Amino acid sequence: MTSPDELLRAVEEASSAGAEYAEARYHRVEGLTMLFLNGVLVGATQPLSEGVAVRVLYRGSMGFAATSDLSREGLREVVQRALAAARSSLSQLKKPISVGQAFLGSARYSVVERRPLADVSLEDKVKDLGERLKGVELRREGMKVNNHALTYSERAEHKIVVTNDGAMVESKIPRVSLFYNITASAEGKRANRWNQLGAVGGFEAVDALNFQEEFSGDLDSLYVNLVKASSPPRGVMDVVLGPEIVGLAMHEAVGHPSEADRVMGREAAQAGLSYRRELRVDKIGSELVSVYDDPTIPGSYGFYLYDDEGVAARKRALIYKGVLAEMLHNRETAAAYGTESNASARAIDYRSEPIVRMANTYMAPGDHSFEEIVESVREGVYIKKYMEWNIDDYRWGARYVGLEAYLIRGGRLAEPVRDVVLEINTRDFFSSVAAVGKDLTFSAGTCGKGEPPQPLPVTMGGPHVLLRGVRVK
Amino acid sequence: MMAHELAGRAAKALAGRVEEYIVSSAVSRSLMVKYANGEVSVTQAWKDYSLTVYAAKGGKVNVASYTSSDPLKALASLPELLERLSPSPLYAPLPQPSGVSLSYVDRKLKEAALTGDASAITVDLGGRDVAGMVSAQYSEIHYFGSNGLDLGYELTAYNGYLRAFKGDDSGQWAWVSTSLEQRMAQEALERAAELAELCHSLPKEEVVGEHRVLLSPMIAGNLLEHAADASSAGAVIMGFSFLQGKEPGSLVASEKLSIRDAPRNSSLPGYRGFDDEGVATEDKYIIERGVFKGFLHNSKTARLMGARSTGNAGLIMPRLFNIEVEAGDLREGELLEALGEGIYVNNNWYTRFQNHLEGTFSTVTRDALFKVRGGRPVACSRRARIVGSMPQLLMNIEGLSRERWQLKWWEIDTPSLVPFVLVSRAQLTSVST
Repeated sequence: MTSPDELLRAVEEASSAGAEYAEARYHRVEGLTMLFLNGVLVGATQPLSEGVAVRVLYRGSMGFAATSDLSREGLREVVQRALAAARSSLSQLKKPISVGQAFLGSARYSVVERRPLADVSLEDKVKDLGERLKGVELRREGMKVNNHALTYSERAEHKIVVTNDGAMVESKIPRVSLFYNITASAEGKRANRWNQLGAVGGFEAVDALNFQEEFSGDLDSLYVNLVKASSPPRGVMDVVLGPEIVGLAMHEAVGHPSEADRVMGREAAQAGLSYRRELRVDKIGSELVSVYDDPTIPGSYGFYLYDDEGVAARKRALIYKGVLAEMLHNRETAAAYGTESNASARAIDYRSEPIVRMANTYMAPGDHSFEEIVESVREGVYIKKYMEWNIDDYRWGARYVGLEAYLIRGGRLAEPVRDVVLEINTRDFFSSVAAVGKDLTFSAGTCGKGEPPQPLPVTMGGPHVLLRGVRVK
Repeated sequence: MMAHELAGRAAKALAGRVEEYIVSSAVSRSLMVKYANGEVSVTQAWKDYSLTVYAAKGGKVNVASYTSSDPLKALASLPELLERLSPSPLYAPLPQPSGVSLSYVDRKLKEAALTGDASAITVDLGGRDVAGMVSAQYSEIHYFGSNGLDLGYELTAYNGYLRAFKGDDSGQWAWVSTSLEQRMAQEALERAAELAELCHSLPKEEVVGEHRVLLSPMIAGNLLEHAADASSAGAVIMGFSFLQGKEPGSLVASEKLSIRDAPRNSSLPGYRGFDDEGVATEDKYIIERGVFKGFLHNSKTARLMGARSTGNAGLIMPRLFNIEVEAGDLREGELLEALGEGIYVNNNWYTRFQNHLEGTFSTVTRDALFKVRGGRPVACSRRARIVGSMPQLLMNIEGLSRERWQLKWWEIDTPSLVPFVLVSRAQLTSVST
C-alpha cells in the first residue's frame, strides 16, 4: 500500500516541476468471483489490482500515468511520466485545459460490513449461494430450463486521493453483485434472460439482492414469453413501463447526455455526444418528470461520498419538472462551463483516469399506485421487463424490446404479448409522461464508458410510468 | 523484474502445493494520446506488472490475476483457497504443451512505449475537427506450467481510431497493427474526413425500411465479431450463442462468407504461437464458405463437449485471438456500383441482442450513412437502426471487397482483418421518430 504522505510527496514533486494541478490516487481493488453452472460451482477467480495513478496539468496540458510499481523509485517515475505525457502534447494544444475550484474534502470513510467479506469463508459463500440456487423452483409447465449460469462477484475497493490543492480522502467501499443468465425453451422456441443485482456492503448485502425472488421472477418472464404470449399490437397507444425500463431510460436518455465531458466532445469518438449540445430549449418533458443522480444513497451499488478528485458528493438534479437542469461535472468540465464540480469524477482502478460518470440515476416518484395507472388506460400495453435496448450516440433515439409484456384493456391487465417494440425519441418519451408511480425501484448495472474502457457499478431507478399515446411497433 | 523471472518465481511458489498450474506474467508499457475537438485532451502512460495463475488440485480449479507491485505475496494464499473449493465439472488435465514462441517487436513502437514519448505516435490532425485516440504498447510475456510449459514472447501493438466532424456530420475509421505504420493513421484520418465532408455536402434524408446495404469494414467488423464470438464453446455454455445446437457442417451463412480465427497473423496483436494452456495455436475457419466448422475450445470445454482443444485456451473459457474475414472479389472502387440502389453505412455502436439463442438483435449506426442510387450517394442520414437476426444477416451476404482493413476500436474488441460487406437486404428503422 501507498501512504497518504507518499502520495502527498508525489503531488508536491509534480507541483515543484511546474504542474499547476496534481493529483495522486492509490487504488486497490481486491475481489473474488465464482461461477456456478446449473447450480454447480465451476471455479473461482481472485482478481487483485493495486497501483498508483498520477494526473497533472502542466501549462494547460493534461498528463496521466499509472503504475503498479509502488516502490519509492516507482512513484518518482510515475510522476515524471505524467509530466512527460503532459509536456509531449503541448504542441498540439489549442486551448489550455484548467481545473476548477471545488468543495474538497479531507476525510476518511468506509462502508461498514456487518459480515465482512474477508471474514466469511469461501466454503460458507459457496454453501450460501448454492442453497439460494437450490431454493428456486425451476419447473414451469410446458417450459424447459436448458441451463443457467450465475456469477457471484465481490470487490473491496480502497482508495486514497490526494491533490495539490488540499484534498485528501481515503475510502473503503466493498461491493457484491450477482449476474445470471437463464436459457429456456418451449414449443420449438428458445429465449434467454440475463440480469444483474448489486449493492455495497459485506456478505450481508447478498440478502438485500433478493436473488431468489428475482431469479424466479425471470423464470416467470421467460415462461410468459415462450408459452403464453402472442403477437404484440402495433400502432399508437398508451404504454405503461415497469421500473426496470424506466430506470434504464433515465440512465441512457438523461444520465449519459448530462455528462459534461460528453457534451464538450471529449468522448465524441467513443461514447459519443449529447443532445444537450444541440437543444435550443431546455424544456424536454412533462412537469411530472424530475430526474436525479445521487451518489450518496446508502447501500446503493453506485455509492460514494467523495469522488476521485476529492470533491464532496451530493444529489444532482438533471431534469427538474420537465426542464433540463444541471450536468454532471468533474473539475475540468466545471471549469470549462464556469461552474463548480458536482463530484462526478470516477475511475474504476489505478490504470484509469477519473472521468465524468453517473452513480445512482433515477426518476423521482410520483403519487400514483400501479393499479391506478393501469386503470387509467382504456387500451394499451404494459411492458414489465426488457432484454434488448440501445440508443444513438446523441442519446436521442432509443429502442426497448419487452421480454414480458401484457395488453391493457378497459383498465385491466389482459393477455401477455411477446417482444413488444418501443422506438421513441427522448423528447417524445418525456413529453408523453402522463402519470408517475410512487413505487421507485432500483436496478444495478455496469455502465460502459472511457478509453481504456471503464465498466463501472451504477444503479438505475424509476417507478411505473404511463406514456400517453406513443407508437408501438 | 522481467516477465520470465516473475513467472518463474510464481511457478516455484506453487510447485508441490497444487497438482497443476499455469502461471503467466506480463510486464507492459503503454502510451495513449486522446483527441477531442481537434486537439489533445489527455496523454496517458502505463507501466504494469501482472501475474495470472491457474491452479488445480483434486479436480478443483482456481484462477487468479494480480496487477500489483508484489503479486507473489498475493499468490501465497491461493493453494489454501483452492483446497476449500469443490471439484469442478469443467476440470480437465492440462494438455501437453505443443506451442512455439512467436514474437513480433517493432523497435520504434517499443521505444515509444518504454520512453513514454508521445511524439512518436501523435497524429497530425491538420487543423480538422477530430476526436479519437492513438496508442502504443509493448509487452513481454512468459508462461510456466506444471505440464512443462516454458514459453514466452514479446509483442508490440499500434492502435487507434479517429472520428472527423464537418458541422454536425461525421465519419470514423480505425486501425490496428503490430508495427508502427503511421500511414494507417493518416488513411484513417483521411477516410473519416472524406466521409464527414461527403455527408455534409449531400441533402439529408431519413432512411427506413428494407434495403440493400453496404457495410463498411467498421460496422462489418463489429457484427462479424459477434458472429465469431458465438463460436466460442464458452458462449455456448453460458447461454449466449446463436450457434448453440449447430453441428459442424451446418450451413449458417452465405457461401460468400468465410471467417477465421488467425493467431498466426503477425500483423495483428493477437499474434500467438501457443494458447494459455501451451497448446499450439493455428489459423482455423470458424465459417468456411457459409459452413460452420466447429466451436473453439480449450481442454476444459473440449472435455465437456466431447471435442478436442482447438488451441484457443483462455484459462477458464476459450477465446479468439485475431479475426480474419476472407476477401471477396469486389474492388473498393466498384462497391457503390455493386450496391446500385441501397444504403452505405460507415459505422455503428450499441449492438444488443433481444434473444441470444435466436440471434435477434439491433444496432445503431453512427457517422455517415448514405442513400445510394445508380451507384452514387445522393443523400446522407446521420443515423438509423439496423434490426434483424444474425443468422439471417449472415445468409444475406452477397459480396465482399478484395481490400481489407486491420481494425480494432471501441466496438471491435478482437483485432480484425475485415473487408466491405454487401448485404442483399436489411431492415432499417428511424432513431429520430
